[in-house]
Amino acid sequence: MLSALILIPLVGAIVIGFFPDKEGKMSRNLAIFTALSVLVINIYLGWQFDTSVSGFQFSEYIPWLQWIGLNYSIGIDGLSFPLVCLNSLLTLIAIIVTDKSIARPRFYYSILLLLSCGAVGAFLAKDLLLFFLFYELEIVPLYFLIAIWGGKRRGYAAMKFLLYTAVSGILVLASFLGLVWLTGADSFAYEPLRSHTLSLTSQLLVIAPLLVGVFIKIPIFPFHTWLPDAHVEASTPISVLLAGVLLKLGTYGLLRFAVGLFLDAWVILAPWMAILAGISALYGASCAIAQKDMKKVVAYSSIAHMAYILLGVSATTRLSITASVFQMVSHGLISALLFLLVGVVYKKTGTRDVESLRGLLNPERGLPVTGGLMILGVMASSGLPGMVGFISEFLVFRGSFPIFPIPTLLCLVGTGLTAVYFLLVINKVFFGRLTQSLARLPQVKWVEHAPAFTLLFLIIAFGIQPSWVVHWSEVQAVALLTGS
Amino acid sequence: MDFSSNIASQLNAGTILPEGIVIITLMVILIGDLITGRNSARWLPYVAIAGLLIAVLDLCLLWDLPEPDGFLGSFSSDNLSIVFRGIIALSTAVTIPMSIRYVQQSGTSLAEFIGIMLTATLGGMFLSGANELVTIFISLEMLSISSYLMTGYMKRDPRSNEAALKYLLIGASSSAIFLYGISLLYGLSGGKTNLMAIAANITDVSGTQSLGLAISLVFVIAGIAFKISAVPFHQWTPDVYEGSPTPVVAFLSVGSKAAGFALAIRLLVTAFAPLTEQWHFIFTALAILSMVLGNVVALAQTSMKRMLAYSSIAQAGFVIIGLIAGTDTGYSSMIFYLLVYLFMNLGAFTCVILFSLRTGTDQISEYAGLYHKDPLLTLGLSICLLSLGGIPPLAGFFGKIYLFWAGWQAGIYGLVLLGLVTSVISIYYYIRVVKMMVVKEPSEMSDAVENYPEIRWNLPGMRPLQVGLVVSVVITSLAGILSNPLFTLANDSVTTTPILQSAVVTQQLPQETITVSTQSLESDLDTSH
Repeated sequence: MLSALILIPLVGAIVIGFFPDKEGKMSRNLAIFTALSVLVINIYLGWQFDTSVSGFQFSEYIPWLQWIGLNYSIGIDGLSFPLVCLNSLLTLIAIIVTDKSIARPRFYYSILLLLSCGAVGAFLAKDLLLFFLFYELEIVPLYFLIAIWGGKRRGYAAMKFLLYTAVSGILVLASFLGLVWLTGADSFAYEPLRSHTLSLTSQLLVIAPLLVGVFIKIPIFPFHTWLPDAHVEASTPISVLLAGVLLKLGTYGLLRFAVGLFLDAWVILAPWMAILAGISALYGASCAIAQKDMKKVVAYSSIAHMAYILLGVSATTRLSITASVFQMVSHGLISALLFLLVGVVYKKTGTRDVESLRGLLNPERGLPVTGGLMILGVMASSGLPGMVGFISEFLVFRGSFPIFPIPTLLCLVGTGLTAVYFLLVINKVFFGRLTQSLARLPQVKWVEHAPAFTLLFLIIAFGIQPSWVVHWSEVQAVALLTGS
Repeated sequence: MDFSSNIASQLNAGTILPEGIVIITLMVILIGDLITGRNSARWLPYVAIAGLLIAVLDLCLLWDLPEPDGFLGSFSSDNLSIVFRGIIALSTAVTIPMSIRYVQQSGTSLAEFIGIMLTATLGGMFLSGANELVTIFISLEMLSISSYLMTGYMKRDPRSNEAALKYLLIGASSSAIFLYGISLLYGLSGGKTNLMAIAANITDVSGTQSLGLAISLVFVIAGIAFKISAVPFHQWTPDVYEGSPTPVVAFLSVGSKAAGFALAIRLLVTAFAPLTEQWHFIFTALAILSMVLGNVVALAQTSMKRMLAYSSIAQAGFVIIGLIAGTDTGYSSMIFYLLVYLFMNLGAFTCVILFSLRTGTDQISEYAGLYHKDPLLTLGLSICLLSLGGIPPLAGFFGKIYLFWAGWQAGIYGLVLLGLVTSVISIYYYIRVVKMMVVKEPSEMSDAVENYPEIRWNLPGMRPLQVGLVVSVVITSLAGILSNPLFTLANDSVTTTPILQSAVVTQQLPQETITVSTQSLESDLDTSH
């Protein structure tokens, strides 16, 4: 059953890739159908999922390449379930918001599904090498998605992304190889490796490359420079996926492997990691203030918000781990919403420059609905109560404040700055008098806003009823900290 | 026992039956060409391919031969040699379909070309099983001289002539050095030529390691490194690859290299067993230089063939990791990688040939926008190049993981880490070509692609090219995911080969010192920067 989540997008990608289709209508419909069926299966899995027990459920195991210790072994637990759901939802949204007249539709939808397949495979993998395989699998499709359908400097941004992520993959692999060699295990299976008895020194030695690897992916200052470029150059649906899902691979790797496998070493390093998180949050927020490009603002705010996850994970309490997973979901929803709306503004006005946009909230000739949604999205992002951003950040800070007060305060300042930079953008772009050059904007149809409304609905629903997300991962967070 | 049956059992001629089949094929081709003249090109290549495939089939039948030694011990048909002979024969069988159209378009005789290529294959096959110094040298020369001939086969093209002359001069001197090395070996062992006898005598007589043996080792390695084009014995590679006919390059980069590795394993593991530590040290240096230089210089190339030349140097560096590991997994990872490398590299060359047949150029920049005109070629070349770069789930990824895994288990961490780092570099230049083909818009097309001819597969010689392309690409895509049979083959060939088994046992001891020397060497490199 679980394999269907990996296989359906894969089969979809292959069918679309080889199915002759000139206009791209068929490809689009097939892609939507594929993503929809994955989402349905996902909901069914959620219905069957037992939240009261820890450990992997729906596990599947097929012996594969045993000579290098690689087996096809997948399962889902409280850490991965919310992320898998997020992935299915955002993949569907990304396909829907894709321009209907996009160039080379077959290739586009095919590699988009392949990307989704790589991400979901990495979330489900119960084998370290299998995780690495899926982690690398997602690089080349995303490279093409940026390099072909991106903005002006797409070639540069795509290559930068590729090299950074390839280095991150190699570091993760080096760490896995080191772990398996030091423990003398004969396979890369996750669960047996958790009960290793490595000395602290060797744990520190092995965790170091892993941390650098996932920090590149998350990204944490000073490994973040690829992200603003990639976001700015990528098209809207790709930005949604990149921020919503692919960055989560980094934080998921941090939780699953750094904390799950090297708890002792992680606890030693945690104070430093918390400080790093504080710096990263402040850095992202301060950079966001200075940006003129709306997409860059959202990209830097992404860096700041992802840093909270690192803070929560550093605190290593039951509450803070649960909160980190929650924050992943919340950031996935909010940043996806913001990127969608920025995409709409860009599509209708032809620019994302804060200086040249003005008064878009004008009810007659502007983009009032987009503006309204944007304001709500910004409220969610800056943590206004009643929305998911508030409760997830509050939980993170609540969990980590007793352990690391100073870094938590730094992050709190970062949250305060979120309001500053987003209000600056909102104020310039949506309020005031509509610029004459923008007077005749094409109308945005309600259908075009359907994905944004879906996301907003989830943001408010989870904000009012956070336990809908939290209860998936509560039990597993305890299990992660107590060892096997 | 009867005298004649005694002789027959000593000769054990059945061990070279696959080579016999290749020889018969060769003769059929030469005579058939004489009889039928120009029309022979229609059927000759298929005879050659059939002969090679029968030879491979026969190699399968020879698997696990109870009495593998033939010709008074000078040729051994153990499972290791069978695998290598299979790789060489297969690489020729894949190379011939891609050369038909190429050679015909250049207006030279196809039969002679195939004849020379089969001779080179024979040399390589004999070299893989040769167990005695004279046989080794003769088969090495057979391989080399045919290679020189093939390199200069486009005799009207000055670059081909230049390549041939360069290859001949450097190759001849490296052969001479190699010959001097084995002559020292002959003398030091008290006049033995059989490798096992040499190994026994050297350990008996000297006890301490003599200077002569060390010199002989260095000379022999110089000869081997020339064949596998490891840095710093690589200088011929880019020029020869650029100038020679592309099918020849394909053979040189796969078949000839595999033969070199077969020779390396057999000679170093048996005759130089007392000097294991030293040859590991030298090969570590070769691997480091090859991986670094090959990958870094490939970044700057503008010609596709030159880029593939440097990439093949780098790939040789990766394979050496398995050789230095010196364990069962190490050797079998080498064989596994070579098997995978055969298909992905030959697939890439098939695409390069196809492109140059249609446009007449090898420049990387001319590939711009190919996706819009020829999706099949783009897909094939992309898959092969990404596989060479080690992107999952293609075959090259699994081959590389296995090599690194074997190296890591054997404790050569420095080399494995360097391999990991340089394979990231390699992704850059492989994906640069893929980017050229896939990412460029129709408006950014190069002139060559702009004037791309209509795709016609029904021209003479094109159909086999298409079949070869599809087969290589399919195997490259699937051999990784379904690699268990290939792995079993590689592993069995190592665990059932007596010379390797005795070597693995004796190598357990000096393992620690090798690690130390690797690391000290790396730190030397670091400080020198």
